[in-house]
Formats: sequence, structure tokens, C-alpha cells
Amino acid sequence: MRWHESILEFKSGRYMKLALVLSLAAIAAYVWHEPPGHLKPSGGTWLGYTLGTVGAVLILWLMLLGVRKRRYRSSAGAVQGWTSAHIYIGTSLLVIASLHCGFEFGWNVHTLAYMLMLLVIVSGFFGVYAYLRYPELMTDNMGAESLDTVLPKIADLDRKCLQLALDLPDEVNAIVAKSTRSGPRENTKPGRPRWNLPGGARRLTARDAVKALRRVGSKFKGEQAVLNGKLLAEMTRKSVMVDQVRRDMRLRAKLKGWLYVHVPLSFALLAALIAHIVSEFFFW
Amino acid sequence: MILVTFVSVNARGQPQRDQRRLTGTSFSVGRGTKANIQLPDGRVRLDHAHLLVSDAGATIVADAGELRVNGRKVQTSRLADGDSVEVGPYLLRVEPPPAGVDLALTVTLAQPRISRLRKALLMVYLSLPRLSKRRLSYVAFVSVIVIFLVLPSLPELEKKADLPMSGGKRAMVKEISTLLGGGFSQTWTPGPLSPSHQIFGESCRTCHQIPFVPVRDAACLDCHKTLKEHVARSMLTGARGLAFLEARCTECHSEHKGLPIAPRAQDRCADCHRDIKTVGVKAQSENVTDFRTGHPQFRLSLLDANHPDVVKRVRQANPPSPDMVEHSNLKFNHALHLNPNGLRDPEGRRDAAGMRDAQGNRTVLTCPSCHKVEQDGQLVAPVSMEKHCRRCHSLAFEPQVTQRQVPHGNEELVATTLREFYARLALGDTPPDIHPPSDMPRMRPGAVLTYEDRQRVLALAQQKADRVLNELYDTRGVCTTCHQVNRSADAAGWRVAPVRIARVWMPHTLFRHADHATQTCTSCHDVRDSKRAEDIAMPDIAQCRQCHVGAQPVLGQVTSDCARCHNFHSGHEIWHGAPKLPAHADRSK
Repeated sequence: MRWHESILEFKSGRYMKLALVLSLAAIAAYVWHEPPGHLKPSGGTWLGYTLGTVGAVLILWLMLLGVRKRRYRSSAGAVQGWTSAHIYIGTSLLVIASLHCGFEFGWNVHTLAYMLMLLVIVSGFFGVYAYLRYPELMTDNMGAESLDTVLPKIADLDRKCLQLALDLPDEVNAIVAKSTRSGPRENTKPGRPRWNLPGGARRLTARDAVKALRRVGSKFKGEQAVLNGKLLAEMTRKSVMVDQVRRDMRLRAKLKGWLYVHVPLSFALLAALIAHIVSEFFFW
Repeated sequence: MILVTFVSVNARGQPQRDQRRLTGTSFSVGRGTKANIQLPDGRVRLDHAHLLVSDAGATIVADAGELRVNGRKVQTSRLADGDSVEVGPYLLRVEPPPAGVDLALTVTLAQPRISRLRKALLMVYLSLPRLSKRRLSYVAFVSVIVIFLVLPSLPELEKKADLPMSGGKRAMVKEISTLLGGGFSQTWTPGPLSPSHQIFGESCRTCHQIPFVPVRDAACLDCHKTLKEHVARSMLTGARGLAFLEARCTECHSEHKGLPIAPRAQDRCADCHRDIKTVGVKAQSENVTDFRTGHPQFRLSLLDANHPDVVKRVRQANPPSPDMVEHSNLKFNHALHLNPNGLRDPEGRRDAAGMRDAQGNRTVLTCPSCHKVEQDGQLVAPVSMEKHCRRCHSLAFEPQVTQRQVPHGNEELVATTLREFYARLALGDTPPDIHPPSDMPRMRPGAVLTYEDRQRVLALAQQKADRVLNELYDTRGVCTTCHQVNRSADAAGWRVAPVRIARVWMPHTLFRHADHATQTCTSCHDVRDSKRAEDIAMPDIAQCRQCHVGAQPVLGQVTSDCARCHNFHSGHEIWHGAPKLPAHADRSK
């Protein structure tokens, strides 16, 4: 038995088939439907009203995913199934809405709703890519670790490096401090940062700190050289971990960031849809 | 000897004191383990400062680091009881020394490091920046609703009298909506108006009179008052006929498409006309689908001069139906008049531009000599005796008197003219330009007539007038050249049979002669061999089809859907009603 099934392949693409049937049915109706007279097809024909109603209901249902995934005790189908359906049905909306409007566009609230829908769907496409690609990359990157375990380790290394640098010249101490988030880089009095180290407040990446320590340390002899060697080893370990964390943060941001477009835009779409329907029937 | 007390906070948050006694006179202060007074924090220099203690007192001297004594930055300072010295994040307080001790210091970490671990984690989870999906969603939703729903509907809200709004609020709403100037309402329009309706601009209510109710026919008829029904209600039968009766304007006329609102909707027409009997069993028209592939022969409206209330609709056919004749009561020979060698012209010497041939007194007539398209470009103006015939067809009645003619078109007036003319001559009042005919009685100049003389002379004149009247109508055939005449018992003596000439042969087409100016007259109306007035020279559908095809475009042909030749709203009177036709016949000319 497969232990993982992607949201795209949920129940061997059950919702893909549903969405395909829906889209093809809409296209067939559109081709078969002859609008009265010389007029182009539009939302005002019986097919237009039908497709519009279907589209509006689908949009409402698609937005319900946000409710469903917060209801842990709900028995209305698995969230995985909902997500799979959300993707496919959402995509079929491209066909349904385009046919609903009969490919007529203008500078008005009606096309605004359409464009918002496009943006929501396109951001959703990125979301699908992110959900399918980034978790894998994140696992590759972090292995058995997680941010919650790596960050304290980095903090420990910071402390260890700072401790080691105490007995080393100021130059080394400054390098360590600048490369350490929790280091004495800034003397924090609220509202009045005071830099009390030579070299100012520029941050040094762990990788640059390793290079700098190697360069500075070449002059050291005896006990200082040994101490610096230890510091270099710790700083190198930290550098690797920091890179790991940075990559994880980047992936995490991509994995979640698109929702900051997708969700607010879908609410803007809901508002535009309401305005579209009200205006359409207010001046019927 | 000095006493150094390190004050720190233990894991439970309680202060912890760690006292050390140091001997010597000079003490280094730094972060390293080798410093006499170690301040283990990265913010402290390795060799930050040193203390010098002697009998005279204690002095602190800055080395690599920075010192602040009682808040003031110093390079070196003598220390007194109560002084506080800042070394990096540490605070060194000078206490009153116990016995046997030169200097007592308490060391506290005044500015502990901040753990940023929590902060880092928060940033990773995107929670730190105040970016909330929920907040963004609210903002997006509300702003779209306000801009695209509330603002555009403000003018409507303000107009609505039954809304529970105070006067002040209403005034405010009105102010806002005028300020916006309808700009936001424009976001509601689904597309540009048709050219003819652009006059309404932003006044949506002109047509959309009641909110949430589809545009009503009444709104259209507010302006289009004179529109006629396509077909009489009594003609419509069955469910489909009833459906047609119920049809709303907007079913054919669709607005906001940026196109002309009049539909060119052949399919819509064919919906009924494909099988016309299903819409009205009494229909007399034949089924039509397309001009090229499914259109019957034309029907012509024929008049009968002897039955003025009858308009016969006769369909063209090959060979033509025996009914296809025009009973106009006129006699006319087109072939004779269109003689390519011209006709004798009594006014031949006069220079009539473009109408004289080489011989000088023969005129070649062409179609426009008598038939001219009217100003509106649609129909051909009626032929007029005065304008077109009289030049050659003189109504002179006395061979020796060419200057006098009888009037045309009124039999009573003809008789009166003759009687008055001859009576005047008989009474001896000869006009100077007239040479009296020889068979008239002559009066001696200066003679005074008795009453009896006058009666006798006038009776002679009356006889002469009656004789000439009969000659005009009968023996000389002046009238009968063109007309049929009958004797009558009244004073006029004769009656000309009434004339009715069809002017609108196809009353249901939008045919315009002006649009066909590229053609010659004879390409549609060939009368060059016609010798009788009964002949009809209207083109049939085959002739039209030489240029016109149906709704499907064909290269080199004129695409012609129903609306090219027919007007849906032209009315149905001509087909079914009384023949009150404009100028079908005009006897006075």
C-alpha cells in the first residue's frame, strides 16, 4: 500500500475527472447554445445565467475550504479530499467563468470580479506547486532536525563562541559578536541603540565570520591559536546550521506566503461577486 | 586589599552575592579569565581598564574600553564612596569599605543580554510582521464592497424616499453622490451603449425604471410611441403565436453591447417564418428562411381602377399569373415613347437642354424624362400630365386657336371652358390674340343686341361648344389617346374613367432607388417592348438574386439578411387592412 498519495492524485484523481466533466459540459453547452439573433453569448442568456449561478455557487463552496480545515471534528469528508477538489474545481472555474461572460471584458465591476478570480486561481496554482515541491525540499534540508531543535543549538553555539572569544583579542570578539544574534552587537537601551564595539553594527554572517576568524587566527600562536581553532570549529558548525535554517525559512516563507495573496484576494473576489450580482439585477 | 562583591540573579530570580578579596595595588578589569576583576560579557574589552589602589585612594583608568563614572565618560577618575562606574553592561558601585579594606566594589550586570531565540522563531513563522491574512481579507472585502457596491448605489439610495433617513443624512448622501459625479456608477455598466441610446449617458433609470425588475416594454414605448405591431393580434394563433404576442422588446433588442440595438436576427425571423402556419393559421405569406435558399417569389400589390377598395396581392410566377395585369384605365405604349429615333417635338425649335437630337425637332425620351426618384431616394415620383405629357399632348380644342387648351383632370371645367370661350366670341368680344373660327356667327362692330339676339347667338355658341366637346372626347380622340371615356347625362357631358396607378408595388420592402443608382433603370424594369399599359415591369426575385444573396456572405455578392429589405416594425395594415394607400392614384394630375 502506498503510504503517501498527493492531493492531485487523491482517490486516483476523482475530482480531476469531476472537474473535467464539468468543464466539458460547460463548453459543449456553450458551443451548442445559440444566443438569440446576432448577439454574442453573454451572461444575460439562459446559459449565461446558468453558468453564472454554477460559478457563484462553486466560488462559495471553494471558500468553505477555509472553514472546513479549521473544523477538526467535522465529518464532511477528509480535508485532503476537500483540497484535491478545491484545486480541480477551482481550475474548472476558469472555463465556467470565461464562458459565463462570453469573453466580454470592460472596465467595470464585472470584469473586476473576473480578474480577481484569475489572480486567486493563479496564486492557487503557485500554492499547488509549493505544496507538492517544498515539503520535500524542506525534509531534504532539515533531515531529522526541525527549526525548534536547530535554533536552540545555534543559540548554544553562539554562547559557546562568545565564551571562547572572551579570552581572545578584541578583534576576534568583535567578529564573534557581530555574527551572533544574541551577542553584544547592540547595546540595547530601549529607543537608543548604542554601539560599543569597534567596527560598528554591521552584521556578519556565520560564513563570513568563519572566513574572518581564519584570516585573523593565522597570526595567533600558542594558547590563542588553540583557542581560535576551537572557536573556528564551533563557528563552522554554526555556519552550516545557519545555512540550513535560512533555507528552511525561505522554503517555509514560500510555502505559506502565497496564502497571503490567495486568501485576501478571494475575499476581495467574494465582495466583487456580490457587487456584480447586485448591480446586474439592480439594473436588470 | 580590595573587596569585590559580584551580585547576580540565580535561576529562581533571587539575588546572589559572591565576595572576593584581592590583594595588590593594581587590578586589571576585563572579560578574560586572566583579568583580576573578570566581567564575563562580550561587551567588555579584554583589557578594558585597571584600578590603582594606594593609601591616597583608588583610581580607575580606562585602557582599551570606555568608562563612565556617574554617567560621564572619563579616561581616568578617582573613586569616592557612592560613585558608580559603568564598564560595558556592568555597573561597579563604590561602597564604604569595611575595616582593613582599601576599596569595596559591588558588581552587577545592569543590562543583561536579550535572548532573541523567541523572536527568531516568531519571524520564521511569519507572525512577527503584523501580517494577518484575516486582517488583509477584511480590508480587501470591505474596500471592494465600498468602492463597487456602496458608492455606486449612493445616488439610488438618495432618491429612495421611503428609506428611513433623516434629512441631514439624505443631504450628506446627496452631496457625496454629486461629488462622485456618477463616476463610480460607471463601474456597473456591463458595456458601452448602442449609438442611438448613448444620449442617455449615466441616467440608468431611463430604461431600468424599477430596481430588480427587468427592463419593461413600457420603458421603450415611452420614446418609441409610433412603433407599429409586426402582425395583427387577430392573426396569431396557437401556443407559439401566443408566445410571440408575449415577447418582450429586450428579447430581440439587446443593449450594452456597443452594437446598434436593432438586431440583424435572421434566425429570430425564421423561428416563426420557417413554418408560418404554426404561428398563425390564417397567414397568407409563404414560409421563408433565407433570401438565397428559402424565399418565395414576390407578391405585388395590384390596384384596380374600377374597384377602388380592392388591393390584390398577386405572386409573381413563371409563366406569370393571368392576374398579373394592371387595370389603371390608362392607355400607354412604352415602346412607342422610347423610340430610339426620337419623337416629333412640337416645341423642337426651343432649346430644351439634353433633349434635342440632331434634327432639331425630334426628342429622344429616356426613362428619367418622365420618371424621377423622389427627394427621399425611395420611390419614383408620380408621372404628371402637366409636367410630362402636355408638351406633346396638347389639349387644344379649336384647330385655328392653338393658344387655348382645355384644363386637364376636371370634366366640368372642360365643358365650362368651352362654353365660356365660344359664348365670348359669339358676343363679339374677340380677344386680340385670337383669330375666330369661320363657323362662328360674327357680330357687326358697334351693333347693339336685343335680348332675343343675345339668346339666339348664345344658343349657337352652346351648340358649337357641345360639338367641340364631343370632338375632344370622341371623334378627334384627344382624350381617348390616353383615357377611356364614357358619356354622362350631367352638364359635363362626358366622364373620364378613373385612373389608379400603383406606386408602391411592394409595400413591405425597404427598397430605395437611391441605393441602386449603380444600376440602369432597364436592368430591373425593362419596358422597351411594352405596348400596353396593363404590362407590369417589376423585377422578380431572380433578378434581385443576381446581386443579392442570403445571410451567408458570398464573394462578390451583397449579403442580405431579412432586415436588409424588411422592417419588423413597419406595420401590417398593407397586408390585411383597408387599402388606404398614400398616393397610389392621383387623378388631378
